[in-house]
This record gives sequence, C-alpha cells and structure tokens, in this order.
Amino acid sequence: MHAGTPSEAEPTALAALALDDPGARVWLIGEQRDDGGFGLFSGSVVNDAATSLAALALPPGPQQERALDRLETSRAEFHRSTTAIPIDPDAVGWSWTTGTASWTEPTARALLALRLLRPESSGIADAVALLRDREALGGGWNYGNRVVLDEVLPPFAQTTAVALMGLRGLDPGLERRGLRRLHTLWREESAGGLSVAAAAVALRVHGENDAAAEAEGVLEELVAESGLRGDGVALGWAALAASVGWEAWAA
Amino acid sequence: MTPPIDRRAFLRGLAAGGAVAATGTLGVRALLGEPEPWDGGAFPTPGSARVAVLPASRYDRPLESTVLDGLVAIGANLAGKSVLLKPNLVEYDPGTAINTDPRLVAATVVALRRAGAASVVVGEGPGHRRDVQDVITRSGLLDALDEVNAPFVDLNADAVRRVPLRSRYTVLGELWLPETMLGAEVVISMPKMKTHHWAGVTLSLKNLFGCLPGRVYGWPKNVLHWAGIEGCILDIAGAVRPRYAIVDGIVGMEGNGPISGEPVRAGVLVFGDDPVATDVVAASLMGVDPGSVAYLVEAGRYLGQAERERIIDAGEDPAAFVRRFAPPPGAGAATASA
Repeated sequence: MHAGTPSEAEPTALAALALDDPGARVWLIGEQRDDGGFGLFSGSVVNDAATSLAALALPPGPQQERALDRLETSRAEFHRSTTAIPIDPDAVGWSWTTGTASWTEPTARALLALRLLRPESSGIADAVALLRDREALGGGWNYGNRVVLDEVLPPFAQTTAVALMGLRGLDPGLERRGLRRLHTLWREESAGGLSVAAAAVALRVHGENDAAAEAEGVLEELVAESGLRGDGVALGWAALAASVGWEAWAA
Repeated sequence: MTPPIDRRAFLRGLAAGGAVAATGTLGVRALLGEPEPWDGGAFPTPGSARVAVLPASRYDRPLESTVLDGLVAIGANLAGKSVLLKPNLVEYDPGTAINTDPRLVAATVVALRRAGAASVVVGEGPGHRRDVQDVITRSGLLDALDEVNAPFVDLNADAVRRVPLRSRYTVLGELWLPETMLGAEVVISMPKMKTHHWAGVTLSLKNLFGCLPGRVYGWPKNVLHWAGIEGCILDIAGAVRPRYAIVDGIVGMEGNGPISGEPVRAGVLVFGDDPVATDVVAASLMGVDPGSVAYLVEAGRYLGQAERERIIDAGEDPAAFVRRFAPPPGAGAATASA
C-alpha cells in the first residue's frame, strides 16, 4: 500500500493500467487465486474487491476470463430493505467483502470491467439498477446508501467519479446528474488526492476535458506538495489520470 | 446518578422479550450455562477503575493543562511509552460534531508528551470516506497536528497483520489489525461523545471500529455490521485492549448519531484508566442508563469495570454534568441492512 510494504492487487492493477507495466501484470497473474479472484485478505473475511481492476489490467486470455467469471459469480448477498434503510431489494450489486451488502465503489468497478470486457453480461444491467437505486438526491453517489433513518446522505466526489466511469453510455440521465454533481464535488474535496484523481479520470472518460484538465492541475500540485501521503491507491489513480490508460474506458 | 447495573435483571429482560432482537445474543449464552465466550487467561477479573470528569467548555482555550490534569487524575503511566492516540474521524461536514475536535487531539498530543510519552502517533481509519487526505485536511486535523509536529497514520492503509481473537462474540475468529496499532505500547481511545443509531451510544469501545483497516473490511466496514455490531464492539475491544480513554464531550452529538445528529454542548472531558468504566460514566453523563447498553453490560463481565460502585470518581462529581442527550431515532430497534 505504501512504498516498502508488500505488494497488493489494487495498487498494482492501477500501476499496470497507468504505466502499461508488464512486470505489474506478471505479478498480478502470479497472485490470481484458483477461483479467479484477487485479494490479499482471506480467512474469516475475504476481500477480493480488487478483482475488477485486475481484470482490466490483465491481457486478454484465460486469466482475464477467469477473473471475469469470478466477478460474475461473486455478487453481494444481502439486499433486504428496511424502514431504516429503504433500498430496492431486487437491485443486487457487488460488496467489499464476501457475504455482505452492495456498495457503490465495488459495484461501479465491476460494472466498468464487465462493460468493457464482457458486454453481454447480465451483471451490467444489475449494476446499473443498483446505481440507479442508490443515487443521491440531486445526483451523484455516497458510499452506498441514499437514506438512513430518514436522513438524506450526501454524495462524495470519489464514489461519484468511480460510478461515472462504470456508467459511461449506459444511462444518460443518471450520468448527466452525476457529472453535474461531480463538477462541484471535486472542487469541494480538492484537498484529497484520491478524490481529485478519480474525478479527473471520470471527467476524461466522459469527454469533459476542460474540467479534467483543471482537476489534473490541482492534482499535480497535490502530488508535489504531499506525495498523496504515499498512499499507493491514490498514487495509482493519479498516475492513471496522467496517462492514457483510461482511454479505453471512454468507449 | 445512574443506578448500578443489575446484570441479572438485564439478562432476564433479554431472555424474556423483544430485547433479544435488538441486542443479539449477548449474555444469553451465560444465562443458558454455556462456556463464557472469552479466554479466561487473557482477561483477568476487572478490578476497580478510575474515571475523571473534568469541565471543559471551549475548544479555543488552551486545553493541554486540562488534559494533563485528567491523565494525572487517572494515574496514567506513560513514561517512556510509545502511544497511539485514536480519535474518532468519520467524515467531514462543516458545522457538525461528527469528529473528535482536532484542537483537542493536538492538545492531547502535547499533554501526553508532557506526561512522559516517548512518542505519540495519531491514527484513524475513517469508516465512510476512502479519501483520508481530504478528511484530515478539511477537518483541520492535519494543520493541528502539524503545529505540534505529530504524525498521522491512515489505519485504513497501514500494513496489517492477522490476529486471533481472544473472545467469540462473532464468528470472525480473527481480525486484520494495523501494524502501527499493534506496535504501540499504549493505545488511547479518544471518541466523540455521541449517540449512535445502531449501538445506542458510541464512546471509547465503539470508536475502535476505526482501528480496522478499510482495505480489508471496506467502506463502510459492512462485514462488522453483519457479524453483529455489539459482538464486534466486544471482539474488537478485546483484541485492541486500549489502555486509556479520553472522551471529547466538550461538544457532543445527540439524536441521529454518529453523523446526522445535532451538536450538544456537554462541557466535559472524561478520562479513564479503563475504557469500559469510562464509557459507563460517559453514558451516564449523556442521560443514558449504562444498563440499557447491552455491549457495555457484557463488557463489564470480563473486559473492564462496569459496576458503578467500583468506579472511583477521580475528578469532579459526575452528577453535576449530566446533560440528557436526545436519543437516536428508533433507538435500539433498528437493524443495519445495507
């Protein structure tokens, strides 16, 4: 996660995409589990939420197909609506850890991978339905709940950006509202490198190039000032924003 | 003053009615004569505890001496120790009382050094926001820590190690914990005094959810909710074993906590050499009967002292600072579903 600590699938996948790094891809292939997933953490808690990004980073071939197979079979398990947290119980996305509920970021990343690499997947419609259900009031996305105990939760830049990367071309209204919110959100949250980097990529993916260039300028300053505090995931997204690794995502 | 906890009555209540649905199976195992869900050798019988309630009405006045007074009052032994100070930092929303105030965190760093700590690191793993850089910058924590030259560690992104649990209130069996936390000789839990819509109150024990790394458990750390919030509070507290607690009650949060409630001026800091005892006293200050908080009752059986008569008041008379917090909506009945 930070320099000097053991390699992990998520920052390595981002590095492979941003830098077109063969070594990063070789490392990923070596880390793929028998079930096709990627995850450092196992035992009583299994987190293979990096599988989507790893699938995107892998070259076409059996490893990529196995990762996509794993994605399609590792949906969230809990989707019950309650009065406290009203949700559409038929909208099933992806979770952070196996056996739990659907959340914005893992669902959006799975959507991105399936949209680009397996466009016939039924998971695409499911992911879009989940993001429609969890859209914040006025557009954009929180980490995954719209309302808790009658309180409307606000959207965040980072989660909104990742959702927009996945949704490209799939729901114009949802995308339009999300982009409108993202233009405001990334500026409000411009102290954070992860938020600004993800926003820059999302804006590029949606062809909002002037705003993306502005975000990239802010990101450059943040990297220079703070090194994004050495966070490998934030640096990976920043490298992706500065590269052409996102271009295929705009298709 | 809050009456002593009557565990038998509490368990009878659990077994008798709907409380079981709200509190899970805490305590019922013991009622049924099953083995205790903790390793006896790891948890000596709780002794007496010291808790100091000190008045503090503002964040913009020097707080170091008040914090030092509190540490002295509870007999904190920090000489030569490496300390991890764990505030509560969930997300940033201007004008709210979600987070432990950065000015208090910085003042505490200074006080800990004056008390002899060899090193002080501030660490937190926010549960909702993945962009910690944004949260610590906009909340003012980064500037406050820079002023006292204290490092911040993002526990969501720290190196992790798998640690077997010494209690079995959930099926987790083990936890991935940050190396920075595991390497500290003293962990101090420093929560905001808040109501919590799932757990009733969030104080020094619930605050420890932030020790669990998001990149293992996600944003939010949903698996902990599905494993049972109260059971997780107990298992995590038994694994982290914070040595001291300091509760930020200068301005707390009432109503729909931990993020959507209203600020409330409680005007206190609560220090304790036992996090369970600290939470018992802090809950009482909020007008919450500690005996109604299932995880506190259970924690009092093995993790710390929950019997009020065995908690020594080392500061002001707590009765003078009781400020009844508005309860969360649907208190005790809601279930996290997503």
